[in-house]
This record gives sequence, structure tokens and C-alpha cells, in this order.
Amino acid sequence: MNNLPEDCIAKILSSTTPRDVCRSSAVSRCFKSAADSDHVWNHFLPCEFPEGFRAPEGLPTKKHLFFSLVHCPLLLHDSLLSFSLERSTGNKCYMMAPRDLNITWGHDQRYWQWISLPDSRFKELAALKMVWWLEITGKINITLLSDDTLYAAYLVFKWNLDPYGFRQPVEASLFLAGTEHDLVQPSMVSLMQNPGSEQGQRAELRSDGWYEVELGQFFKRRGDMGEIEMSLKETKRPFEKKGLIVHGIEIRPVLP
Amino acid sequence: MSESDMAIIKPEMMKSYIWLETSDGSIQQVEQEVAMFCPMICHQVLQKGAGSSKNNAISLPQKVSPAMLSLVFDYCRFHQVPGRSNKERKVYDEKFMRMDTKRLCELTSAADSLQLKPLVDLTSRALARIIEGKTPEEIREIFHLPDDLTEEEKLEPLKNTMDDPRIRLLNRLYAKKRKELKERAKLKSIEVEEHVDERSVDDLLSFINGRDHKVVKTSKSKKKNKKKEEHKNGRSNGTCKVSNKDSRNLHSKQRSVDETSSSLGSVSNLLSMEDDIFSPKAEFEDGYIDDEIDPALKEMLDREVEDFARRLNSSWVLSSGQERQPVHFSINGNGATRRLTGPAARQK
Repeated sequence: MNNLPEDCIAKILSSTTPRDVCRSSAVSRCFKSAADSDHVWNHFLPCEFPEGFRAPEGLPTKKHLFFSLVHCPLLLHDSLLSFSLERSTGNKCYMMAPRDLNITWGHDQRYWQWISLPDSRFKELAALKMVWWLEITGKINITLLSDDTLYAAYLVFKWNLDPYGFRQPVEASLFLAGTEHDLVQPSMVSLMQNPGSEQGQRAELRSDGWYEVELGQFFKRRGDMGEIEMSLKETKRPFEKKGLIVHGIEIRPVLP
Repeated sequence: MSESDMAIIKPEMMKSYIWLETSDGSIQQVEQEVAMFCPMICHQVLQKGAGSSKNNAISLPQKVSPAMLSLVFDYCRFHQVPGRSNKERKVYDEKFMRMDTKRLCELTSAADSLQLKPLVDLTSRALARIIEGKTPEEIREIFHLPDDLTEEEKLEPLKNTMDDPRIRLLNRLYAKKRKELKERAKLKSIEVEEHVDERSVDDLLSFINGRDHKVVKTSKSKKKNKKKEEHKNGRSNGTCKVSNKDSRNLHSKQRSVDETSSSLGSVSNLLSMEDDIFSPKAEFEDGYIDDEIDPALKEMLDREVEDFARRLNSSWVLSSGQERQPVHFSINGNGATRRLTGPAARQK
């Protein structure tokens, strides 16, 4: 192995994972040199970046760029879309801000308020005062995502002091935009964590203090086009819903 | 009549051969179609007219030994036949790759100097599969590589370019790991596994040692009194702010950990360092815990902590007499851990 030229070692390392490459940089001098090379880290960075992407300044190598994107999501599209990389594969992740979502009655101050919270990455979040028709929809262009990856969409949210009306499961759906309405099968998800009811997906607490509930999954193949539409809906029960604070909808790869 | 004359007279009956000289000086001839599969040889023949006779043999690069050359030509001989199906080729390749690591390396080297890209790709992938998931120690062992990096170089592969958010991130990571360790130490029921997962042992070791192998050798009392560790040269990461009541538990664990990892020596703490290099490391500022971190960083951080908890769960080695029962943790928003039981316990 000592006799292998550095670009051979770099080639070998490119076929492993970012984690393995990091480990390799502690093996020996020649390995370190190959492991830190731009050639290898370029391989883990996406080949196509979303529109409006600009690499942060002051990053000397591709390895720095990779980790910067993993740990510090970038805000694109008027700060309405956050972009980052999933660290074990380099796959692209996004979170859509509430202003980028279609929230029915969201414009009406009687029902929804727009607030700022310090622990969010977006300027404005949607806080539900009271509504009967709860419908939150988001759309994302599938070409923004990494090829050959299984993705899941999550509604990221929190409760204010006195939420109401969410004890029962609500409808979540995820489908390719343009699908016939009859063909769309919503699933039931519970926003509140009721240990008793095992019905469908449950909300989980994230490590950043927010909750998330899975709206659905989809697989992105190379060459796929169109938009993925995901929504959360509760319009059938005749009582009001209160107290939900929406951070956004996150789309990230499903890890094995 | 010379050989080339004979070739002109009876081209259909005489197979063309290319003459090659290997690194040890020996000269051999190989069927033309097989040898021409290698771009380097092809170039020599077409551009320089070499290889047509014994005196005019193409001298091959030093890295191509006779044994490797024969292997390379086996590969070429199979693949240069046009009629084979993709499946056949794939099956052949899988079989062909079954050789020991040393030969794989030599073969990669030889194929690279002959510019035979498909073979280089094949061997590279095979070597990548070997490297995946191994610790730096293991990789060094398998490939007989020299351990020629300085301590400092090993500990800080990613130079500190980002400042404050990452320092805070680091602090939080260690604060959380510490908390988890505390909880761990309190609980008696821990799963005992047959073999030690070296990685998490390293992880634990490094956490206890604060990533400075010298700390392993210091006495326990020094460790107990160590509240904060000053880091010179901005080298290591993390400090073990061990409070007195916890240190006892930690030390008993440290002993067992030491026993099982005695062979690892001074670089045992590196693996988890590399795992954590995954989250870039920076200079460590003592005692500064700032909660105003970007939630994305927080998220990543907490995931790492959960990862650590999971690893602790699955490979803790203790003396006998312990109940075998996995413990599930969950971390809520403000960093405290909570033990879950029953159906609510998250499957990790």
C-alpha cells in the first residue's frame, strides 16, 4: 500500500463513506494526504447545488465546505429554504419555512399569527391562534434532491401554552403533484404523544427541542421530475384547533 | 527469417505477439490482442513501434512485477473477448478479486501504471470495502503502513476554521456526554456483550481521558481533582469535568476499559476522535456553555450524543453479576436524559 500513488488511495477512499475518510486521515501520512484531498471530498459534495447556492467564504478546502454544509444550513430562496447535507452520505436536506408553505387562513390575523422565535432558523414562524379548517401544504421540486435516495418529509412544530383540539390524529399526505385526488391516500398521524394510541405515525421530539411528525416518504430516482406535495389537514371535525407553532417542513434522507 | 518476416508472409496463421520486459529484466511475449488491452502498452506500440521483437521489447514500469503482469493479462484475456455478456464479466470480476490484501494493492499499483482503468476501478472498490468501518489502527495493520503522523496531526485533522458556534457545540456535546455517563453509572442493569466493540471502548476512553493519552497514565487522585483541563496547543478536545462522586464509578469502569483496551496504546483515543471529527473540532474554551446555538447544530450534536448513548448501551463491559437488560434513553429538549421502559421505549 505504501507503493500506491496518492491518487490511487484517493480513488479508493472516494468509494468509502465520509466517516471512513475522516478515520483514514489518522492512519499514516500518505493516507492523511489522500484523505484530506479535495478530490475525495468533492466526491461527497453534491454534483449539483440548488439555485442561489453560494459556498460560504473563507473555507480553504472541500472538506471544510462539506462539514460547513453539514453543520450550518444555508438559507436560500429569500431565506425561505434551508439547505444542508446529511453527514453520513452527503445527501441534500431541506427545510421549508412557514412563509413558503400554503397555510389556509394563514393570512388572517384572527386565526394565525406570525411570530419570531430565537431557536428557529427562519425569521417568521406561524403560530395558530384558533382555526376550524386546518390545512398546511408544502411543495418542493424533486430535482432539488439527491438521486437514488429515500426521503421523508416531517412537519416540525411545537406547542404554545394551551394547545387544543389535537388529541385525535390528523390527516397527513405526501404525493407527486398532479396525482388525481382520488388516488391520494392520506395517513393518520398524531401530533400529540399519546402512548396509548398506536394508530399511525406519532410525533417525536427532536434534539433541537422541536417536535416532528412524518408526513410520508418517497424515493427520488435519477431523472425524476415534478413536485412533491405534502400536507397536514384536519377539516372534518367540528371543533376548533389551537396552539400549534409551525417551524416548517423538513425533507431529509431516511437513514437505515 | 526473422519473426516479423514470418508474420508478413502468413498473417492468418501466425498470431502476433508483443514483447515485454518486466521490472526484473526478464522478457516475455504476450498475444497482441491481450497486451493491447492495456492503454500504456497500446500507446507504446502505436506511437513508438516498440514491442515488435525481443530487442525492441517494451520495458514496463517498475511496479509491474511478472506475477502481477500475469494477473493483469488474465484479466485482459478474459475481457478483451467481445462476445461476453455483462453478467459473465461481473461474475468473473467477483471471482478475480478474491485475493489477499497485499496482492490487491500490488495489482492496483500495476494496473495503475499500465493505465488499465477498469481494473484500477475494480481493485479500488475491493480495497474500499476492506477499509470501510475499520479503525486507523486496523487499517495500519492490514496494509502494513507506518504510524508516521505526530500526535498533534492525528488529533486535529480538521483545522479550526470556524470559531464560536463550534466551540459551543463541542461544549454542549461534552456536557451531555457527561450527563449520560452519570446516568449510566447510576444504573445497575447494563447489557453485557460477548465481545467488546473496540470503537465504543475507545470512545469512552477518550471521553474519560479527555482525548489526551497522557491522562490515562496519571493517578486517579489527579483525575478526581481535575475540574478543568487546560489544553495547550489547542490540541485535544473535550475535558472531563468529573465531579468527585462520579469519578469513583468512572474509575472502576476505566479499569475494565483499560484492561480490554491495553493493546491499543496511545492512539486508542483516536478512533472516537475521528468519529467526532465528523463534527468538526475546534479549540476548547473551558467552562463556556452557551445555549444559543443554531438548532441545526444542536440537532446534530444531540444526535451524536444519542449515538454515544447507544454505543454505551450495546457494549459496556463490566464485571459479572449484572442484569442483562438494555436501557433506553431519550433526550428531551433541555438536555436531561429520561429512562423509558415498556412500549414507550424507543427501539434504537
